[in-house]
Amino acid sequence: MRWVLVVREAAATAWASKVPSALVGLLVAVMCAATIATVGRTAAAEQQLTDRLDEAGSRVLAVADARGEGLLPATVVDQASTLSTVERGVGTLIPVDVVNGVIGQGGTRVPAWGVHGDLTAVADLQAGRWPGQGEAIVTDTAMTQLGMADPFGWVALASTSEVDDWSVVGTFTPRDPFGDYAAGVLYVAPADQPVDTLQVVLTDASAAQVTQASVLALVDPPTPDAVTITSPVSLADLQAQVTGDLAAFGATLLLGVLGGGALLVAIVVLADVLVRRKDLGRRRALGATRATIITLVIGRTLAPAILGAALGVAAGLALAARLGQDNIPPADFTTGTATLALIAATTAAIPPALYAATRDPVRILRTP
Amino acid sequence: MLALEGVSFAYARGAEELFGGLSHVFTPGVVTAVTGPSGRGKSTLLYVLGLMLTPSQGRVLLGGEAVSAAPDAVRARVRAHRIGFVFQDAALDPTRTVLDSVIEPALYAGWRLGDARARGSGLLEQMGVSARAGHRPGEISGGQAQRVAVCRALVTDPVVVLADEPTGNLDRDNAAGVLAALSAAAGGADQAAESADKGAGSGPDRGTSEGRTVVIATHDPFVLDHADEVLAL
Ligand SMILES: Nc1ncnc2c1ncn2[C@@H]1O[C@H](COP(=O)(O)OP(=O)(O)O)[C@@H](O)[C@H]1O
Ligand SMILES: [Mg+2]
Repeated sequence: MRWVLVVREAAATAWASKVPSALVGLLVAVMCAATIATVGRTAAAEQQLTDRLDEAGSRVLAVADARGEGLLPATVVDQASTLSTVERGVGTLIPVDVVNGVIGQGGTRVPAWGVHGDLTAVADLQAGRWPGQGEAIVTDTAMTQLGMADPFGWVALASTSEVDDWSVVGTFTPRDPFGDYAAGVLYVAPADQPVDTLQVVLTDASAAQVTQASVLALVDPPTPDAVTITSPVSLADLQAQVTGDLAAFGATLLLGVLGGGALLVAIVVLADVLVRRKDLGRRRALGATRATIITLVIGRTLAPAILGAALGVAAGLALAARLGQDNIPPADFTTGTATLALIAATTAAIPPALYAATRDPVRILRTP
Repeated sequence: MLALEGVSFAYARGAEELFGGLSHVFTPGVVTAVTGPSGRGKSTLLYVLGLMLTPSQGRVLLGGEAVSAAPDAVRARVRAHRIGFVFQDAALDPTRTVLDSVIEPALYAGWRLGDARARGSGLLEQMGVSARAGHRPGEISGGQAQRVAVCRALVTDPVVVLADEPTGNLDRDNAAGVLAALSAAAGGADQAAESADKGAGSGPDRGTSEGRTVVIATHDPFVLDHADEVLAL
């Protein structure tokens, strides 16, 4: 039998027995709508949680030299920045206040951070060039505060006891999660001076545990309290736990909805097969193979199921939207649900189809 | 050529054996009436010939092949391509049009829809029921329904036509019409088949025009009078 004609016969059969077809369509629609409105909400929640934890701010591991013992030399910063689980990293000195060198000590003070390592890890250059030794870059905000019209000139240490200054060679905007630097100035830290804080951005929050161990091995503090650590380890644990719980809950719910729906579809299709056994017996007598009968029964189920899935997805999304914009599940969840519901309906049609295909056509035709 | 070779059949193990090793050659172009008292196995014999029941002993030969021993899928294909059935109650699909019912075996035989429709329309025309092609079986008379059933039996231009009490529910005039159609079918390829052959790539299996084997299970004296050959069970 040609495929197009199998489809035509299946559609005609589905259309001819409207009640079972309507029931199959309704069941699949309910399966989809219920899944999207319930499991979809957990999927949406999980997605939000994951998004939030993926933000750079949730992926920062910071190690500070608690007592200023020089535990964080430049080499440690360089090594830590190249770990495979580290996206980028820098070492910073405790900020100092600087003033516009032209105005002098009376000028407005802004904070300045000495940075060791790749400045591109913390800043995007807006104008001018990257600074070298003895040079600095400023943000627009800091420039205004310092009273500079252009990113040229120099800033000096706001101190009466010490003297130090840096030439300003450009402007920058801080990169996420280093928004603090928006208020001030970044200068290149002297290479021979150990930094006070090492900050690395992890590739993934879940890598917090291993990265923390690797970084501590590099730092090698004499005592555990020689360093203070700010780490997303507990956050990553929380994420794993929460998404795990949500996934387990969602999977159970999904299995229940699809399994229950499939069972009901199987009952409806079996009833239809029993009612139409004369039709199927005639088909067999006239030359339909068992494979054709099986295909027809599955096809007559799938036709209303596809319609039901489309309606159910639409209804489920509408329902989720009414419960709040945050409840709308991701698109792949929606298509996945429709696909799963259709697979469930198809699977449910297989036992009745096998039953129909293996009946004795003679016995059926003889039964008045 | 259709033949029975030492065929017996029992509905269940240990149940009554029917036919007792019956051998018979059904000649193409000949209308054979299978007769006998009710319950003797006329219908059963037709189902055995139609490969829907497998003999407990012996075999059914079609074109020299022991088709009764073939796997189910092969037997279904033989039914679709080479055997036409007429049941006592026309057994048309009540939800489909007359033309859709007529072309059903052709679909199982793998024909294109257009070819099947052309062939089906031609047969309905010949049988004088083309005006009913678009109607449902509930909208036509019993005599018309049985003539439609004959069209369906002939749609794939089969070598064998099996009819089980085709006139059982009909008045004399309608019975005569159906019998005439079956006799004509035994006579050879009809015009509709020839015109369909020319147009369609999906041709029937029968190469020659030596006529069809027609077997009618009946106890209708009118049919027995007009059959070429009578096989009494
Ligand atoms: N499905 C069946 N199971 C068991 N016995 C059957 C079945 N169908 C028919 N029979 C028996 O087989 C015999 C032949 O039946 P049938 O072929 O219908 O005879 P006929 O057509 O000559 O009246 C009868 O005795 C009938 O009771
Ligand atoms: Mg009978």
